[in-house]
Amino acid sequence: MRLPARVSGFAIALCWATQAAAQAARGPATIVIVTGAPAPVPIPTLMEGTQAAVANYEIADQLFLHLAGLGPTLTTAGDRDFVPLLARRWVRRDSVTVAFELDPRATWQDGAPVTARDVVFTFERARDPAIAPRTAGVLRRIMAVTAEGDRRVVFRFSYPYAEQVYDAVFHVAPLPAHLLAGLSQEELRRSPFLTRPVGSGPYRWVRSVAGEYIELAANEHFFLGPPAIRRVIVRVAADPDARINLLLSGEADAMDNVPPPLANLRRLGADRDVRLIPVPSPTLGYLLFNQRDPRDTSRPHPVLADPNVRRAIVLALDRARMVRAVLGDYAKVPYGPVPAILWIGHQAPPPLGQDLYRARHLLAGAGWADHDGDGMIDRAGQPLHLTLSLPVTSGIRRELGLLVQEQLRQLGVTVDVQQYDYPVFSERRTAGRFDIDFSGASMDPSPSGLANSWSCGGAGNVAHYCDPVVDSLFERASRGGANVADLWRAALIRIEEDAPAAFMYAPLYVYAVNRRFTNVTIRPESSWLALWQWTMGGAQARKGTGD
Amino acid sequence: MGRWLAGRILQALVTLVIALVLLFVLMRLAPGDPLAGLSEDRPLSPAEVASVRALYRLDQPITTQLAAFVSHLARGDLETSIQYGRPVSALLAERLPATLLLGGTVLLLNFTIGIWLGARQAVRRGGAGDELLTTLSLAGYATPSFWLGLVLVWLIGVRWRLLPAAGMHDPLLDPGAGFLARAGDVLRHLVLPALTLSVVSIAGTMRHQRSAMLEALRLPYIVTARAKGLSEAAVTWRHAWRNAFFPVLTLFGLWLPVLVTGAVFVESVFAWPGLGSLAFQAVGYRDYPLLMGASLLVAVLVVLGSLLTDLAYAVLDPRVRLS
Repeated sequence: MRLPARVSGFAIALCWATQAAAQAARGPATIVIVTGAPAPVPIPTLMEGTQAAVANYEIADQLFLHLAGLGPTLTTAGDRDFVPLLARRWVRRDSVTVAFELDPRATWQDGAPVTARDVVFTFERARDPAIAPRTAGVLRRIMAVTAEGDRRVVFRFSYPYAEQVYDAVFHVAPLPAHLLAGLSQEELRRSPFLTRPVGSGPYRWVRSVAGEYIELAANEHFFLGPPAIRRVIVRVAADPDARINLLLSGEADAMDNVPPPLANLRRLGADRDVRLIPVPSPTLGYLLFNQRDPRDTSRPHPVLADPNVRRAIVLALDRARMVRAVLGDYAKVPYGPVPAILWIGHQAPPPLGQDLYRARHLLAGAGWADHDGDGMIDRAGQPLHLTLSLPVTSGIRRELGLLVQEQLRQLGVTVDVQQYDYPVFSERRTAGRFDIDFSGASMDPSPSGLANSWSCGGAGNVAHYCDPVVDSLFERASRGGANVADLWRAALIRIEEDAPAAFMYAPLYVYAVNRRFTNVTIRPESSWLALWQWTMGGAQARKGTGD
Repeated sequence: MGRWLAGRILQALVTLVIALVLLFVLMRLAPGDPLAGLSEDRPLSPAEVASVRALYRLDQPITTQLAAFVSHLARGDLETSIQYGRPVSALLAERLPATLLLGGTVLLLNFTIGIWLGARQAVRRGGAGDELLTTLSLAGYATPSFWLGLVLVWLIGVRWRLLPAAGMHDPLLDPGAGFLARAGDVLRHLVLPALTLSVVSIAGTMRHQRSAMLEALRLPYIVTARAKGLSEAAVTWRHAWRNAFFPVLTLFGLWLPVLVTGAVFVESVFAWPGLGSLAFQAVGYRDYPLLMGASLLVAVLVVLGSLLTDLAYAVLDPRVRLS
């Protein structure tokens, strides 16, 4: 038994020594962020198709600076509500031309200056559907990007609209032309740049360990001021419990979007080292009413094509109570299809509350009533029976779906809740094979994306909702003018009246961050965008070893 | 022997081909759109969806897809993952070491400790130690590994902070650290997941080994061995155990593919960067190329496990003749 005892003793000593060495390497200026998905391709214009994942964008935002960023209100219309980044100012020349002047202090991490040529080169790639079909689609209204000298870039748009500056600054961050010009898409995919990108942002690439983490280091020469946090490690743990355990065990300092149930938030909130920070999220959950017959989408839905039935269902739901039960204070019932991140929801009216009397009245008007006294609503001998599809992977929608089923049962409507694996759920949704679909949407900060799901010809309008008045309001609002906010609000009011869906919840994402970090700001459009401005001021920072 | 081996390898190859064709067809017949999960964060435009479908030949008939898969496979190309946009072979190669380390450790612990404890139980059957180990092994066998993992990580990783709660490497460790430091780092990350999986597997092996050993100890040749005056250790380990080992050897063959597939939940709980969690995510996303790559690996291990078991029987058991 001597040998096993010696081996065990050596192993324990080795483990202890390694742990001590790792702890010694953790200074107050290091942050370990734990997230759910890897970022295999965090390079602008390569994050396309299946790589258009949030994880890639969030790492890319640390490496590559945009021309400008969204302001505190996240307003995307007009030219003013943006903060300078690579561009120190911009000037409107006419209704379709904006000139950006680059900050002369901006450099690439290899020391080369950021020039107008870099911006032109990147937008040429980004606007080429063969290279970047996704980005080319969102930039379709940019007609030309040209350089005027080394420091000025001129954007010309195909017609006047409200989000020209947003289009120029939000979707693409410039790439270094001096390193990449002349490389084909395939050459770029195989180039060392992919494994060792050179950016202009506050952090530079250090290394990546497949399936485990990415390490970044502060860019000492960042022209807006070097970050106080010198070392950033982004760890990946797909399982939410594993992420929470890493935070509670002190192996991680920050975590994005703590998932439900609420017990997770309580568990983290009970830790005195952890601060919970709610942030407006881009997501929205809603019960989408199919207006076409799922068995034959050329025909109207036998029940839900009637707007009074849809309104009755909305009125029968106590959405505020359901949302509070499932998401606590970390979500609200939205007015219209507006997630918390969208600026057009800031002054929206309150959503409708539960009104069973009015709901029954509306149904009776459509011929639906309890004719046989069995407590369930029927018409011509047929009970009002609907199916509700939802993805089994969403805990929130599963819980809310059951509450919806119960509340509609009280109205006398039978709802059959059908849970599907996400790919199956999505396939059925796209094909229109549902009565009510518990949809979840994730949106950019721009309201222009609403047209995708709620206009007559919208590519994502799977329920075939169509109201030409709404389309007209969308079109006028996106064109801009003095009353843009009013036009968006009018569109929302019209949608609420049509009730193509019962808009259930617009959640806040809750971030968990160690208290030793101060000046903590989480940006809704990209979680760690402001990380370079964070500081260390907590008690543990003072105790820790410096680095 | 040579002819037998050639025949078995041919049989294994045929089995592999049939399994792969069946898997390929069943995967594509199962409902669910492989692009659906990918567009959950940021919905893809119809043009993008069409281009990705064309890229992965999802817009073509299943026979064309199968022919292309076979053609790529013949060239050693497992195609590109839809979810990761990278070659499947590279992804599998990245994750395989972690899986082999965890699975290999579990197999080693399972078949050393499990066999030793099971055999000792049989030798001292009816004693207090046997009773205690029987109770413990039944409890271990009945314990779901993911639950045990959650308890261990909460207690040892989170509450007491004795071992890491997740991962395989400490990202804070200096990348230039020496071999011993890196080995120690992996070792302390390995303890909890390996322990979680081992508890359940050791319990099973113990039960099998105990009953096989009890059976062997009852046979007349053991009485003869004792009558010849052999020591009890020689009777137990050289005579009884050699016979009682064969049922456990069969178990080893069955365990080989579990190296890859058995740790899905434990890999998830401990964020262990192995193949199990990769394959599990591939199922959720309907990432056909990655699923086929992982399935191919498992199928090879199943066939290999069976082949190795047969070979081991032939080498170790003089009663077996290969023909």
